[in-house]
Amino acid sequence: MSFSAKISRRFSGLRKAMALLIIGVVLAASGTAFGQRRFSRSYPAAQNVRIHLINRSGTVTVVGWDRQEVAITASLDAPAAAIMPQNVEGTIFVNLVRDNQGRDVGNVNFNIRVPYTASVDIETLIGNLNVTNVRGGLVRAHISSEGDITLTNINSYTVSAQNGIGNIFFDGDLTAGGNYRFASVRGDINLRIPFTSSFKLVATAPSTRNISLGSFSNGGMNYLGDGRRVVGKFGDGSSTLTVTNQRGSISFIRR
Amino acid sequence: MTCGDCQELLSRFIDGDLEEARTVIVADHLAVCAECTVMRDDLASILAHCREGELDEAVPPNPAALWRRINNLIESELPAEIPVEVKRKGWFGAKLSFSQAAVAVVAVALISSLLTIVGIRNYFAPPGDEMSVASSGPPSLFTRALRRVGLAETPQQARERRFRAQEAAIQYWNARAQARRATWDARMTAAFDRNLYEIDQAVSEYTVILQHDPDDKLSEEMLDSALTEKLNLLRQFSEL
Repeated sequence: MSFSAKISRRFSGLRKAMALLIIGVVLAASGTAFGQRRFSRSYPAAQNVRIHLINRSGTVTVVGWDRQEVAITASLDAPAAAIMPQNVEGTIFVNLVRDNQGRDVGNVNFNIRVPYTASVDIETLIGNLNVTNVRGGLVRAHISSEGDITLTNINSYTVSAQNGIGNIFFDGDLTAGGNYRFASVRGDINLRIPFTSSFKLVATAPSTRNISLGSFSNGGMNYLGDGRRVVGKFGDGSSTLTVTNQRGSISFIRR
Repeated sequence: MTCGDCQELLSRFIDGDLEEARTVIVADHLAVCAECTVMRDDLASILAHCREGELDEAVPPNPAALWRRINNLIESELPAEIPVEVKRKGWFGAKLSFSQAAVAVVAVALISSLLTIVGIRNYFAPPGDEMSVASSGPPSLFTRALRRVGLAETPQQARERRFRAQEAAIQYWNARAQARRATWDARMTAAFDRNLYEIDQAVSEYTVILQHDPDDKLSEEMLDSALTEKLNLLRQFSEL
């Protein structure tokens, strides 16, 4: 075999190797894409519909819209993961843990649209929870371990947000007679409310003693227990606001 | 014999109860006195009528039936008519000596006073635990007295009792969580460990504070809250 023929054969082998590499990369990428599955379902809903979702891992986003309809979309890491929503007497239940009998199905990211007036009750073991543009009777967001909770443009009578490690941000109104509770083990709790708000406050940050009332600091607020707790009333105290952060800070921001 | 003397003896004369000498004297007077004779006849007829009535009542138409009725009546009424012996007892129905009764009176007075004081204290206590001062001051003399005589738990005793119950539940769920740990992925395991660490740090922090100030209500409340958080975390992960 001549020298030129040897060179030609070697380069031919290199081209084949390159081609195989490119094909492999493309297949791997397409495999990931094909491995993810999307779930989508809609339900007609009354104004006072309630969505109750229990996730295991992933981000859940709930957004209020001007339609009498609940639209649930989800992207699933595991193609075999089951999602079987149930519509029972005006409440839409989505329980991913039960539907998959406790199996680890990886991240499931939900994007849910609900009527503005819906009540929202969502919980997850790990992951972020976001709720926006909701003014139903109840907004509850509960993370068992890690994740941030973001509640924006909320005007509900009862609001409860609780997590382990992670931040909590609330931007909304406090309704007269309403009950608002925010609790974290470690993270920052930031509450952005109108200056016209009226509430009775019990804010406790025993470890950091970092409780910043901002514009809501007045003569009616008392620092107790060497600054570990703030108790007082703002306005005529028509709503109840309880904030507890075991090892983090609490801040009030005027809207 | 006058008429008066005769009329006084007429009843006995009719009955035959007079001595023979007086009987003769009365009989002689009746023989010559029409008025006393009329009276004797009237009295005799009355007595005779009375004797007839006695005889009718003395002999019932059916003596056996009458006796059974009487007997039944006696038997039915007998228990109600049995006189109950009323024993005179001591103080409050018990046979207490005077010293025992005095001690009882003093005890009742003491308990009443304590209950009154407790009621007044509760009435004037500020409402709502969360609105109260976080770190309460030293216990009152009253509270300390109750604790000293064993009528009230000390804060340590109450806390230890409650925390023992929580610790038992935590141990149970921790064992289950550890048994399931191998099935978690790396992300879950890391999240679990980080959260448990933070909670344990908080628990440790509050425990130290309470060792120095057992009456620190805020730390007690936060410790209780942290242990509840830990329990919930373990339970959630043990069910995965």
